[in-house]
Amino acid sequence: MPVRTPHFPDLLFRAAGRLRRWETALMNLLEKSGCREMHPSLVMREGVPQDALRFFDGDDLVALRWDFTVALAGVVTRRFPEPPGKISYAGGVFRRPVQPWEAVERFEVGCELIEAKANGESDLELARLLMAVPGAIGLKNAILHLGNAALVRRPLEAEQLSPELTQAVVSALSRRAPHRVRQVLEGHPAAERLTAHAQALVSELGGIEALKALDASPYAELLTLERQHMAQTLQSLLPILPPNLELRLDLADVEGLDFYTGPTLRLWAPGAQQELASGGRYDGLYPELGKPWQAAGFCVRLSRLLDLAETRPDLFEQP
Amino acid sequence: MSILIAYPKGRLGDELMELLKETPLALDAVAMKSRVLRIPTATPEVQALLLKGSDLPRYVAAGVAALGIVGSDTLDELDMDLLELADLEFGACRMSLCVPQGTTLEELRNRPHLRLATKFLRSTEAWLAKEGLTAELVPLSSSVELAPLLGLADGIVDLVQTGGTLKAHGLVEIALLGRSSARLVAARGAYLSEPHRIKPLAEILIKALKGKG
Repeated sequence: MPVRTPHFPDLLFRAAGRLRRWETALMNLLEKSGCREMHPSLVMREGVPQDALRFFDGDDLVALRWDFTVALAGVVTRRFPEPPGKISYAGGVFRRPVQPWEAVERFEVGCELIEAKANGESDLELARLLMAVPGAIGLKNAILHLGNAALVRRPLEAEQLSPELTQAVVSALSRRAPHRVRQVLEGHPAAERLTAHAQALVSELGGIEALKALDASPYAELLTLERQHMAQTLQSLLPILPPNLELRLDLADVEGLDFYTGPTLRLWAPGAQQELASGGRYDGLYPELGKPWQAAGFCVRLSRLLDLAETRPDLFEQP
Repeated sequence: MSILIAYPKGRLGDELMELLKETPLALDAVAMKSRVLRIPTATPEVQALLLKGSDLPRYVAAGVAALGIVGSDTLDELDMDLLELADLEFGACRMSLCVPQGTTLEELRNRPHLRLATKFLRSTEAWLAKEGLTAELVPLSSSVELAPLLGLADGIVDLVQTGGTLKAHGLVEIALLGRSSARLVAARGAYLSEPHRIKPLAEILIKALKGKG
């Protein structure tokens, strides 16, 4: 069994200075783009998940803020009769990590676009903002992966798989292992179709040519709109690509598939072991909370960036 | 920066060393006989680590090694966050429930307190849940087949390739829990952030190893 020692980082001198500098630079960037800053309470009282840092406040089970998007959604639905538009946040979240080496307390900066009705421009705006992040924090080279949760969600919904099988297929795709998809669907009528789809999704990671891989998918027609949207996004972003940022299409991005509903974004640095920022469209959240709004956002994982700056200082401009 | 590939020690490792000979990722024979930890390969900038199978996925998941080869049984047991690029289809074996000759599955089902010895706790738990059975699991890391002979357990869950070891100990397979084969795994970060460096090496390994065992 894995041994987990909860890790709460104390930042000293250089790292503390870096955190303050990056937080300021990113919040300025977001403010300039029209985001209004919000700072939800550090203590959350509703829907406390098991991996949160929980404690009793009298008779009430409460938790330290484990996720900004969820915390902000609570505040926004309680206080705003209309969607608030662009908002930003900065601070720490506390969550027991999946990987034992990750800290429990993590520092993040992010933004959310909460609207009555989103259009393609909202997703582009989010991508443009994320593209400016490496430059704002002095990351010399970065890679932005564009994905779309619907590429997996829609075929799975069309085949009406059970929740257990859906989870098993997503888990296999998360490993980029079509042979596992075949294995978990053995005997199911959709096994061949979904395995072929998985093979198409994992076969390419790159520019616009990666979309051609979808031709081999049995669900190519079902995914026409998503394909067009990805091509348009790429064509809109390529002319304004900052130097030292590479754009790639990642058709097999399934991380957070139970949350994301459309385009997804992930920021990497060459050789980094974890993504440094991630986000996407999650149109299911606000309707679940009783508001017919749509939303998208991204979160820059400052703790991972701080770790990367210690282990790979060559990846950053010297201040 | 050089790239590290993790190869397993033991039976699986012996099989793949042979298959890798004459490929760009063949291991340096002289270094193999020494106590060098990082073994050069025929490709400059690519070095190999020889690791115990149960440790190997951790090295890959943490990004220390960019690629690795490991049995799917070990992957299922550890459930680490890594990519599984290919089923290499060698080192194939069965994961089976094995008992002393003459014992049946029905008898085991009727035992009020069933004890099973294994090093595959997760897979065994999953199978028991699927079968609606409960059992005391006895974790062992080697010579598992001794457990039923010496009264430590009623049966074992273990990997079976030819069945020779089982036969020698008077054991027989009464249920198939799954199948295992060698898998090519990759560090998520290395593969997704630098596919141009990692993918060509993965392709060399797949070409040299897939279906060759």
